[in-house]
Amino acid sequence: MRTPKRGMPKTMRIRLALRGSLALLALTDGAGLAAAQAPKPATLLNVSYDPTRELYEDFNQQFAAYWKGKIAGQDVTIRQSHGGSGKQARSVIDGLEADVVTLALAYDIDQIAEKARLLPATWQSRLPNNSSPYTSTIVLLVRKGNPKQIRDWGDLAKPGVSVVTPNPKTSGGARWNYLAAWAWALRQPGGNDAMAKQFVTRLYKGVPVLDAGARGATTTFVERGIGDVLIAWENEALLAIKELGPGKFEVVTPSMSILAEPPVAVVDKVANKRGTRAVAQAYLEYLYTEAGQETAARHFYRPRLAAVAAKYAAQFPKVTLVTVDEVFGGWKQAHETHFADGALFDQIYQPGR
Amino acid sequence: MSTVRRWVRHIVLVSGGVVAAPRLVAQQPGSSPDSVPPSLEARLDELDQQIRVLQRLRELAADSTAAAARDKVSATASAKDGFSIKSADGKHSLKLRGLIQTDARVFLSDGSAPVTNTFFIRRARPILDVTVGKYLEARLQPDFAQGTTTLFDAYADVKVTPGSAVRVGKFKPPVDLERLQSASDIVFAERALATNLAPNRDIGLQLSGNVSSGGVSWQVGVFNGVPDLGNGDGDVSDAKDFAGRVFVQPFKSGSLAGFGVGIAGTTGLERGTTGAPALGSYRTPGQQTWFRYASSTTTPANNVFADGRRSRLTPQAYFYRGPLGLHGEYIRSWQAVTRNGQATVKLKHTAWQTTGSVFLTGEKNSFRSAAPKRPFDPAAGTFGGLELAGRYSELSIDNATFPTYANPASTPNKAKAWAVGLNWYLARAIKVAVDYEHTTFTGGTATGDREAENFVVTRVQHSF
Repeated sequence: MRTPKRGMPKTMRIRLALRGSLALLALTDGAGLAAAQAPKPATLLNVSYDPTRELYEDFNQQFAAYWKGKIAGQDVTIRQSHGGSGKQARSVIDGLEADVVTLALAYDIDQIAEKARLLPATWQSRLPNNSSPYTSTIVLLVRKGNPKQIRDWGDLAKPGVSVVTPNPKTSGGARWNYLAAWAWALRQPGGNDAMAKQFVTRLYKGVPVLDAGARGATTTFVERGIGDVLIAWENEALLAIKELGPGKFEVVTPSMSILAEPPVAVVDKVANKRGTRAVAQAYLEYLYTEAGQETAARHFYRPRLAAVAAKYAAQFPKVTLVTVDEVFGGWKQAHETHFADGALFDQIYQPGR
Repeated sequence: MSTVRRWVRHIVLVSGGVVAAPRLVAQQPGSSPDSVPPSLEARLDELDQQIRVLQRLRELAADSTAAAARDKVSATASAKDGFSIKSADGKHSLKLRGLIQTDARVFLSDGSAPVTNTFFIRRARPILDVTVGKYLEARLQPDFAQGTTTLFDAYADVKVTPGSAVRVGKFKPPVDLERLQSASDIVFAERALATNLAPNRDIGLQLSGNVSSGGVSWQVGVFNGVPDLGNGDGDVSDAKDFAGRVFVQPFKSGSLAGFGVGIAGTTGLERGTTGAPALGSYRTPGQQTWFRYASSTTTPANNVFADGRRSRLTPQAYFYRGPLGLHGEYIRSWQAVTRNGQATVKLKHTAWQTTGSVFLTGEKNSFRSAAPKRPFDPAAGTFGGLELAGRYSELSIDNATFPTYANPASTPNKAKAWAVGLNWYLARAIKVAVDYEHTTFTGGTATGDREAENFVVTRVQHSF
């Protein structure tokens, strides 16, 4: 049985210890019976956003081994579904039976709670750190040698600079990109909403292609060779350098960016109906363990656990980060002001113009 | 990236781009002799980017189109499957089919017991088939013919494994071969005398499966239990009937590939009452009742009723090869009966039938309805498919039935029938049939045999 790790939240340590004790009890109490009755295999569906494919491929194997060997002796298979975060949330609302959702922004899970009532509105308080086991931020990926000399957000709106970013209507990552640019403009001398709108409008004029999700935008920039700069999740940019083109791309960390907190939640009604509640809950809790945090860090997500964060500190450049709450008044407000139909983004970006 | 760039460079160079370049530069808006024109390299890069963007936009548009196609619900109409609506992933569907049979029925030489010659709606059935995901299928089939509404099928199949399913609801119990043939597929307008001894529809639960790649099919089920020829919507006693059938098609290829043989049976207890006797009556091919157990409206206490075990056993077989088709079966039905003041007696009735047909126009014969090779289209000189058919069948009532349980002065103890028929398949959905069936009886009147039935039916069948 795995010893609950130091550094985990206390309540979670107690929960894992209890679960381990119960499993041990089940194994020792009537051992013959227990041996004869292997638990039925379980299947989970994790509906996630675009760039988390590699993270969860790795994490799922790790969790399955942990769950089978150390706790319950049960085989668990985790299926993954990836796409633009907003699109994924709509699929769950429309009936895709996700046991857990691991999306790009809290607003998308709020929508599942509000429109489909598959989990309570208070879902974000059920796990530590607002149910965000890891964080990330938004950086700029440029081609080797940085031919357009892009150093900060301001350079993206210069004439002749072609910017690749996905569509904020469908992609959670794109919303973070948009808000990071807006927040930077607000923080410039004399910055206000009008100036920010003007800046972001100029930036989107240089966007030749709007992909539906962050992974599609990475494909556009890295594989199709379009654009001078990709606005990207930090993890996506670092992964691109590692896997797609070492020596071909460079990460530019802007002077200021936004703290992206991708949240996770058990979809109560689905998990209860499918009898996967316990394993789904453990799956998400395992993200907060030292092992889970290590996996996140290896895939370039910023870990929450201090010990792991310290270990991987060199991997993540220091950058001033603002939050959605402090600059935009929370996701609900940000959505209504910027991304709702007819809101600022629709005014800023009009295809064909 | 380099491939596209090489391609662009090639086009520009080969098509005289080097010569044209100064002109392109000269055409730059706002350019002046003093301004520095973009280099050819810069122009190529710009063109290269434009091509890449166009290619990517086309790629994304194709993705969107494919995604839209995946999400698109399809609606189709065909003679074979009726009208259907199917989800984009094909997992869910709703099919609406129908069967309408309009008859002209004529009884020849019916002087002693005249039967009205009539136009007749024999069947008018909408058929609704629903598929929900991989595991659930359901059917609803009422019949509105003859001014009444009767529920014939209302069942759901849950596929347990790829080769087995559980069926619950109202449906045909797995017994009589000709009954198991769909009403739209039977060779003659009416089924043979043997069908009288088998149940029509019953409510229950059935487990079915296929083994040996479909070479062996089997069904077992538990049902309320209905009398011979019964179509039940409830039960009159607590006891239930068990039914089972095994059918083997031993040859997967070769000249005997169309051969199948099987055996089926039912058993159960049935205890009727004088008010609800739970006993069947038997009909001629012309749908006239020729056998019924003794009953009286003036002294119902003397009515015969079921009182114990009811069993059936029916070996059956078919053979189809090319345009030829042959099927037959033997049925024995045991029924314990009693009436006021009498001991319970177990009666044994037997019947058999054999039906053969040949497509004169060469269509392939089968247990299911045929589609004409050349559908009716006089303008094209094609007139559909023709099938010639013949049949013989008998049904014998146990001698112990008379005179205690049926009146020999009004009830024959045996019926024999032979029939010939011609089926004209204008299209898969439309069939016109003309049948003549001659049925003779043994006994049935105080002085001798009941008058023979000479039944002519012309049917127009529309099934879609």
